[in-house]
Amino acid sequence: MVDKIKVENLSCYYNKKCVLESLSINVIQNEILSIIGPSNSGKTTFLRTLNRMNDLDSIHSRKGEVYLDNNSIFDMDMEDLRRRIGMLFAMPTPLPMSIYENIVYAPKRLGLISKKPEQDALVVRALKDASLWNEVKDRLKSSAMEMSGGQQQRLCIARILAINPEVILFDEPCSGLDPISTAKIEESMIELKRKYTMVLVTNNVKQASRVSDRTAFFLMGKIIEIDTTDKMFVSPKERQTEDYITGRFG
Amino acid sequence: MRKIVDTIIEKIIFLCGISSVIFVILIFSFLFIESFVFFKDFSIIKFITGRYWYPDSKLALFGIFSLLVGSFLVTLGACLIAVPISIMTALYISEVASKNVRDILKSLVELMVAIPSVVIGFIGMIVLVPCVKKLFNIPTGLTAFSGSVMLAFMAMPTIVTISEDAIRSVPWQYKEGALALGATKWQTMRWIVLKTARPGIIAATMLGIGRVIGETMTVIMITGNSSRIPHSIFEPVRTMTAVIATEIGETVNGSMHYKALFSIGLVLFLITFLINFVADLFLEKNKNK
Repeated sequence: MVDKIKVENLSCYYNKKCVLESLSINVIQNEILSIIGPSNSGKTTFLRTLNRMNDLDSIHSRKGEVYLDNNSIFDMDMEDLRRRIGMLFAMPTPLPMSIYENIVYAPKRLGLISKKPEQDALVVRALKDASLWNEVKDRLKSSAMEMSGGQQQRLCIARILAINPEVILFDEPCSGLDPISTAKIEESMIELKRKYTMVLVTNNVKQASRVSDRTAFFLMGKIIEIDTTDKMFVSPKERQTEDYITGRFG
Repeated sequence: MRKIVDTIIEKIIFLCGISSVIFVILIFSFLFIESFVFFKDFSIIKFITGRYWYPDSKLALFGIFSLLVGSFLVTLGACLIAVPISIMTALYISEVASKNVRDILKSLVELMVAIPSVVIGFIGMIVLVPCVKKLFNIPTGLTAFSGSVMLAFMAMPTIVTISEDAIRSVPWQYKEGALALGATKWQTMRWIVLKTARPGIIAATMLGIGRVIGETMTVIMITGNSSRIPHSIFEPVRTMTAVIATEIGETVNGSMHYKALFSIGLVLFLITFLINFVADLFLEKNKNK
């Protein structure tokens, strides 16, 4: 088992207020790691540190190290890093253009592809990998804004897959979706595990138990427990974890 | 008693509300009637395409083609200068600048509207005109180009303020999405921000043009007022607004010349009306997204 991402003593601050405290955690290649915890536990901050989205925020500061394939991400070019670590947000964010354009927009402009046949192949591959192909293959030219919320979210997954990342971060990807769309996203996540490493931040404890290999429980900026999902949900070591999983608080 | 006061106030507010509509209609009908009388005596085609504006000669000629070209040249020049600078400024203010810089810059840009046009004309006359003359080695600095430069200053606040609003209303999720895909800040601005804000930016440009084309004082002072068809922007021109402003005081009330000036007014009104209308269409489009 190879560590894809290794986090060492990471602390994050917003305006000097500590939101993550000396966190050490690893993400194994081709696993889905779920991060659960009540709000304000630092889950999203942690996720946004992995692809350095937090660096855009001027009141944010941090200490510690994060390694991707044994190279510090803070030494990497920010744009290169984000191409290797894609991110899916809570709200679907398709751009106001056609489904086809949404997928080729970034790869085309990042210079990854140019010719029309390449683009076509890319769109097919990305949509198939995101389990969206069958639903939209006849209307690639119609606007992405006309799709349902769940389809939009899977289009966003396809858009990320189109630039060939190594890791995909999911920030509460199903919080705005109905159960059926949620099930479809989870299906594609499990499907994607063969090629990609994934980190899922979720408020839905059941979702974590359904899709992830390992689960970490965050509380007040600290990591309380991390274990394989099976163990964690059957016999958690910590009292707080058990309380949270069984719904006694949070 | 209370009820009466209520009704009266309601009526007053109503009157205030529709007064602007009534004024526009009145002005338009006034212009239209005067021009209609004029066009009965002087062919409208000759009026638009005629190359000579000789209102005082024995066989009076009222061709406004050279004036149209003059207005067009000055406006086009002003746009070419103002639009790129304004869009960059708007981008800087809303996307790059820190909060303090942004506040200062925004109020400064808005303050630019407050500069009276005669002051802009005056500064153009004593600073810009001699420079243009020397720089391009031409007989006079009173040219369409000088007018364009100064008018660009007048159009900028409008374009900056409205484009900035449009740029700011681009959902931050779009930007975050692009950044997460590995786009740089500048790429995000170019592909996402500018693309999404485009209707608003076009509307801003149109409103800027509307302001420039109707501007009078500055162009009277620095464009040279020569009603010939210019061959380049480095020649003096005369605009429609300048003709009306300089000649209306010297005409006999009700004469052909007098009516001809009203007809120019109608043409101007129609042009600005059309521009504002198009701008509105784009602003609507921006809102509905």
